[in-house]
Amino acid sequence: MSLVSGPGRAGETSGSLPDELQLTIEPHVRYIQSLDSRRDELEYWLTEHLRLNGLYWGLMALHLMGRPDALPRDETINFVLSCQHENGGFGAAPGHDAHMLYTVSAVQILAMIDALDELERRGKGRALVGSYIAGLQNTRTGTFAGDEFGEEDTRFLYGALNALSLLHMMDAVNVNKAVDYIVSCANFDGGYGVSPGAESHSGQIFTCLAALSIAKRIDLVDVDKLGRWLSERQVECGGLNGRPEKAEDVCYSWWVASSLAMIGRLHWIDGDKLKEFILRCQVCSVSADNSTEINARQDTKMGGFADRPGDMVDVFHTAFGLGGLSLLSFPDLEEVDPV
Amino acid sequence: MGPKIKAQPQAVAEPAIPVEYRTVKDKLEAEYLESRPYEVLKAKKGFGGMSAAEKSAYANYIFLETGVWKNWAASQQKDFWALVEKQKIPLPLPKPQPLGKDFRGRDLETYTPQEYQEYQKKQTRLRQLEAESKRWREIHIDGDERIEEFEEEESQEVEKQRRKEIGDLRGKAMGRYESDPTWDDVKPIPQDDGEGALAQIAYTDEYSEAMGYLRAIMAANEHTPRVLGLTEHIIGMNAAHYTVWLYRASTLFALNSSIAEELKWLNEVALVNQKNYQIWHHRQLLIDQLYTTISSSPSDLEELAKSELDFMMQMFAEDSKNYHVWSYRQYLVRKLDLFSSAPELASVEALLREDVRNNSAWSHRFFIVFSNPSYCTPTSKATEPDPAIPAIVIDRELNFAKAATFEAPQNQSPWNYLRGVLRKADRKLSTEEEFASQFVQDLEEDTVDIKSSHALDFLADVWEETGEVKKADRALTLLGDTFDRVRKNYWEWRRKALKKD
Ligand SMILES: [Zn+2]
Repeated sequence: MSLVSGPGRAGETSGSLPDELQLTIEPHVRYIQSLDSRRDELEYWLTEHLRLNGLYWGLMALHLMGRPDALPRDETINFVLSCQHENGGFGAAPGHDAHMLYTVSAVQILAMIDALDELERRGKGRALVGSYIAGLQNTRTGTFAGDEFGEEDTRFLYGALNALSLLHMMDAVNVNKAVDYIVSCANFDGGYGVSPGAESHSGQIFTCLAALSIAKRIDLVDVDKLGRWLSERQVECGGLNGRPEKAEDVCYSWWVASSLAMIGRLHWIDGDKLKEFILRCQVCSVSADNSTEINARQDTKMGGFADRPGDMVDVFHTAFGLGGLSLLSFPDLEEVDPV
Repeated sequence: MGPKIKAQPQAVAEPAIPVEYRTVKDKLEAEYLESRPYEVLKAKKGFGGMSAAEKSAYANYIFLETGVWKNWAASQQKDFWALVEKQKIPLPLPKPQPLGKDFRGRDLETYTPQEYQEYQKKQTRLRQLEAESKRWREIHIDGDERIEEFEEEESQEVEKQRRKEIGDLRGKAMGRYESDPTWDDVKPIPQDDGEGALAQIAYTDEYSEAMGYLRAIMAANEHTPRVLGLTEHIIGMNAAHYTVWLYRASTLFALNSSIAEELKWLNEVALVNQKNYQIWHHRQLLIDQLYTTISSSPSDLEELAKSELDFMMQMFAEDSKNYHVWSYRQYLVRKLDLFSSAPELASVEALLREDVRNNSAWSHRFFIVFSNPSYCTPTSKATEPDPAIPAIVIDRELNFAKAATFEAPQNQSPWNYLRGVLRKADRKLSTEEEFASQFVQDLEEDTVDIKSSHALDFLADVWEETGEVKKADRALTLLGDTFDRVRKNYWEWRRKALKKD
């Protein structure tokens, strides 16, 4: 399964924006479907280490657009299971080591297409997946490592709790210790970083909040202080950035907006301006200067979202863009659970 | 009327003058036709136009071509061949078949006859070399040591040259590992994606070959020096492949390789892969390992701290907000206990002097100042007061933040820092009312002049603290209506909260 960037650049239709920014679903569905047919491109193998992750976000985008069936279910299950290792964990693609991130993606994918039973039927069993994840908890600090080499990141902690809750195996780990660890990542400015003392970062804030909400401990968050920091992420053009003084980016439409939603402060930012920004990051049609081989093969319009107007589209930002729009209750999109 | 000119009997075979053919295809076509003179003659004159002798020769040619004579009685065949000889009928050549293409995709038929001859020579040479190389591999890998000794005179270098020549003749060089006899013992394992269209992954040849060898190496759990070369090669093509990094690390440690050398190499990789995080995790593993060997030598530790700082500053010169580098820096400060290190604080200050808006540097400063184990309460969180912090430190930090707000009043980082320090000190915001008021003139008037919306925000909090609700309300209204309209809803919410208090 592919993911990766391109083809097509966002917001380049004839140089100026359409009078009315609209969302047309079909090109975006086709964009996600097309990603897998791009195996002959350099980009494809350079991003192999993200494959399972990309599949998750691609599916997420399709679900948001109400088209969960647009990727073949059986092939998806086969591919996911082909990434599993003897220890229960999953790698990014066949032949890649097992890692927390991809194990979480695998569980999320199977849950999304209602196929967790396949772990029992054809995989190595639900319990083994759960114990692989549980085995990565640092029993001293409560946080989780990404793999046996021990890199730690609040992303892994969130992923672990997310996957375990989907597997109904939360009691396999010490949730209280994990919660304590997140609390220790809170910064003086109200945000959270990748580890205690690390700079506040929107993506890490999302993972910390999502983990706390899975653990039902959002009460530990100084929501007004955090909401203030998060709402300061909106910049003049309507987009959101990940840290102070950084450029706006569609992915933060998701990380920031869903974080604000989790603490009930989404209305603190200008939703209309954000919607407009996100819509300006989509590819409306194949632009003339982009007559690559791919486009020659595609006789129809292709969609996708980029990080900001004019950049290359990719599957991640497509999912984040759609996720952001869905949070802002955009018509035509399925409602999304911020966690 | 002139004398009737009698038609000259048609010459059956053209005199053999050497002809220059443009292409090998032309030559083969010509040879084909030359071997069928009566066919050509019939096409020219029609069957009726041919003489009796010519007709007889034509019939014999047809017998030759179809091979019917094979079914005749022996005596009949004998007569037939006598006639063929007498009539000088050449054996008809088969119709020329397409010659195919060369490695460049050029049609071989478009070669000149000389070129084609050359080409065939090279093909012969290629097949010979391939056979020799195959034998070389059999002898050297399949491990019959007696033969190996016996053929010792043929070194790896000879075989390497042979493979190079094979590559030249094929028009496509062998891969780096396939062409290197020292890798002959490894049988590369191709990508196995299982079934299903979703999983087939195409690689460039170079990457794909290297990965094939790595899979084989990993399957054999080999940790030898050549693994370092192989993983370096792959990382050079794709630094984001975490499995490759992990295997490299375990090999380094198994070999007890020089960490200093590895760090030097890693610096180069990090500089060209700014966004990669595997590099930084790898670096942590190296430092953890190195630390165990030098932890008892203060001078070695100091030197390490210095060289790491130098390198990080090189990274910051490219991107002073690189999150991976800053996270690594926090790791290093903890690992080497650099909280009180003078160069550490000085370098953060230098970065902030360069760019006062660098939130990463502000964040790091807060970390080193307010987690310093030499005076902080170990359990104190970043968000709560710590009475153990000396007032001199608090005042130094307050002054530092305040000076920065004058430099960039509209930058949120020093304002956030200021609030963070006051919280640590458990001082009220109102202790800095006078300072913040310098950015706000004529609050109540129409001529209101605001140099920093953050100052106004700060003052709104001060006045909420001191119960001056009207002033706070005015400040929040101004923020939502004029100075920060994007977040109107936030300021409105603050105003409503004010009324509730
Ligand atoms: Zn992004």
